[in-house]
Amino acid sequence: MNGIAASQPYVIALFLLWAGLMKLFGRRMRAQAGRSALARLVGAARAVPALRLVGLAELAVAAALLVPPLHPLDGAAAGLLATGFLGYLGYAYVAAPTSSCGCLGDHAKPVDVRSFARAGLLLAAALLAMTAPAAQPPFVPLAVLEVVALLALSSELDRHWLVPLRRLRVRLRPPLAAPAPSGDVPLETSLHLLRRSPAYCSASARLTSDVRETWDEDGTRFVVYGAGPSTAVFAVPLSGDDPRAVRVALVDEAALAQ
Amino acid sequence: MRSRRDVLKSAVLGGGAGVMAATALGSLGPEAAFATATSAAPGVEPGAPDPNFAEGRIRSIKDNTLLVLGSNMVFHTIRVVDGTSLWKLGPVGFDQARPGDGLYARGVRMPDGMLAAEAVWLNIVNIKGHITDIKDQTLRLDHNGHEVLCHVVPGRSVAIHSESPPTADLSLLKVAQHVQILGAWRPDTNEVDIATVFSPH
Repeated sequence: MNGIAASQPYVIALFLLWAGLMKLFGRRMRAQAGRSALARLVGAARAVPALRLVGLAELAVAAALLVPPLHPLDGAAAGLLATGFLGYLGYAYVAAPTSSCGCLGDHAKPVDVRSFARAGLLLAAALLAMTAPAAQPPFVPLAVLEVVALLALSSELDRHWLVPLRRLRVRLRPPLAAPAPSGDVPLETSLHLLRRSPAYCSASARLTSDVRETWDEDGTRFVVYGAGPSTAVFAVPLSGDDPRAVRVALVDEAALAQ
Repeated sequence: MRSRRDVLKSAVLGGGAGVMAATALGSLGPEAAFATATSAAPGVEPGAPDPNFAEGRIRSIKDNTLLVLGSNMVFHTIRVVDGTSLWKLGPVGFDQARPGDGLYARGVRMPDGMLAAEAVWLNIVNIKGHITDIKDQTLRLDHNGHEVLCHVVPGRSVAIHSESPPTADLSLLKVAQHVQILGAWRPDTNEVDIATVFSPH
């Protein structure tokens, strides 16, 4: 148990170092500070100074945790910081649900359940760190596990592991594999050809409705539109991609009723 | 006796032409549901509501009349007739309209305030976002931080890559890429059936 507690300062310090350095030296992060929830909290003009201040606080706490001897106050400071994060996330979730939290990187994802889980984990680690006895060797496997969990909860890093992983899975087991050529031409394919045809361009001004009816016959798709008191019927070839092959006729509704 | 379809078929194959003489009104495809600026009736003041357009959700259906509550809390009565086109992931019959469906309608406003619809689009949505995952015939779309589950409908869904013609093969879509999806919303869910996926590459 002591070993578990003793490993917490390192885990927290690692994360605070990352967060603090990103805030102080991440150029893109500063550029996007105006769009984070922090800008909503302190005002857009004060977003960058506030970001720097938080970064400094994070680095100071990280240094206090890393430099021996470890004092329970170091853990308390980390706990205070983590509580602040949770409060800030709660504020961002309610007040600026579309803004990013501006916590660790320059991504534009809004606060979600993973952000809360990460801050909660940091708070738990900080509470444990307060009970850590001085000069106790850390329990490395758990520390590694915790770091992995914290990294997995960081959506800032998704593009480095989650996206490639999902792409790999899609490549290995294609979920949208090309359908067997069944001969069925989707309607949208015919409409695409239709809309580019001289026949449609010349008749479009008279059309008053969207597609009313469509059927296939003898390699031709018939597409029917309303055209005021008349009906416009187009004949679109099912094969080939020459828009000039599309034909059009206007038929009087009265003639159809007979 | 010849059927209606036979008459239409012989008209277009017999006397049909490659082009027709042009006039100066607007056209209506599914895209026109969103193109309010260009397809607004002439004579409508900029910023004023277009009397020949209605949007909202269907509250009730009686015979051929839809009672629709607009998002601005204005009620519309919309009459659907034989000549009205209905879209719900494609051309459908009037029996496909359900209470709860979202709707855009265009037509002619009658003196009694009823809209005689010429075209009705049910649950049509047009959303942009990036694909966060692809599995089991669905795309997960991140739309401004909100997840939208987009279903591929065999025989209906197509992808348009850049300038290429639409294809039923959606396998070129990639995780993390940006797309625009035209589709039909499943009412009261975060799910959409895909009509067209527009991909920039």
